Amino acid sequence: MVLRVLLFLWIAVAMVVALLKAPLVPMLEETTRVLYFHIPAAWLTVVALGWSMVNSIVYLVKRDLRADDHAAAAAELGLLFCVGATVSGALWAKAMWGSYWNWDPRETSIFFILLLYTAYLALRGSIEDEEKRARLSAIYSVAAFVAVPFLIFVVPRMYETLHPDPIINPRGKVDMDPMIRWCFLAMLVGFTGLYVWLQSLRVRVSRLERAAQAA
Amino acid sequence: MDRNFVVLGVSLLVWGLLFVWVLRVEKRVRELEKR
Repeated sequence: MVLRVLLFLWIAVAMVVALLKAPLVPMLEETTRVLYFHIPAAWLTVVALGWSMVNSIVYLVKRDLRADDHAAAAAELGLLFCVGATVSGALWAKAMWGSYWNWDPRETSIFFILLLYTAYLALRGSIEDEEKRARLSAIYSVAAFVAVPFLIFVVPRMYETLHPDPIINPRGKVDMDPMIRWCFLAMLVGFTGLYVWLQSLRVRVSRLERAAQAA
Repeated sequence: MDRNFVVLGVSLLVWGLLFVWVLRVEKRVRELEKR
């Protein structure tokens, strides 16, 4: 319980400092605030989908359904964070570019990731047999994640984009006010803690579901 | 009213509600695990 309260306070304090004390980025102005939610959500999309792939490989090697539970939970949460990154990005785009959706390379990439992992959940939902579902989902998850780094890190750099530079910009530097950087890192750590908590909870729910089906 | 406070208020409210909801889900999961 102490860890949970600490997590609550950590994110709450980071929000207060980020929204009241940290300066605005000159180019982004008022929309700077989106940074503290959008980038952690995008970061956790990659982390969660990567964790799903790792557990899918573990399942294929060991045929342990606990790994499948982790893989499914991570894919669900990855998709959830991906929706968060997409919505916060669309709100930012409306303020900066004048419309919610412009088919910018980054928007197109995140749209494909949403499609890929919605299909993963549809695949899981369409197979009744537990072993078969775990095996096919694991193969799909590994294949799908191969596309994720390409879509997130390669495609947006291949084409002209209006999207601001990523945190580590093309010059290999982090050009960020130190106060903004600390707030941003605090939010990143807080969001990661929230993800770990949600992941463990979702896995416990999966185990309860399996126990209920077996009973 | 300063817009920063409005954004902060909404953010804290959403975070607080999410936190309480997850705590309640976890409590329910713990009860089911004990059965």
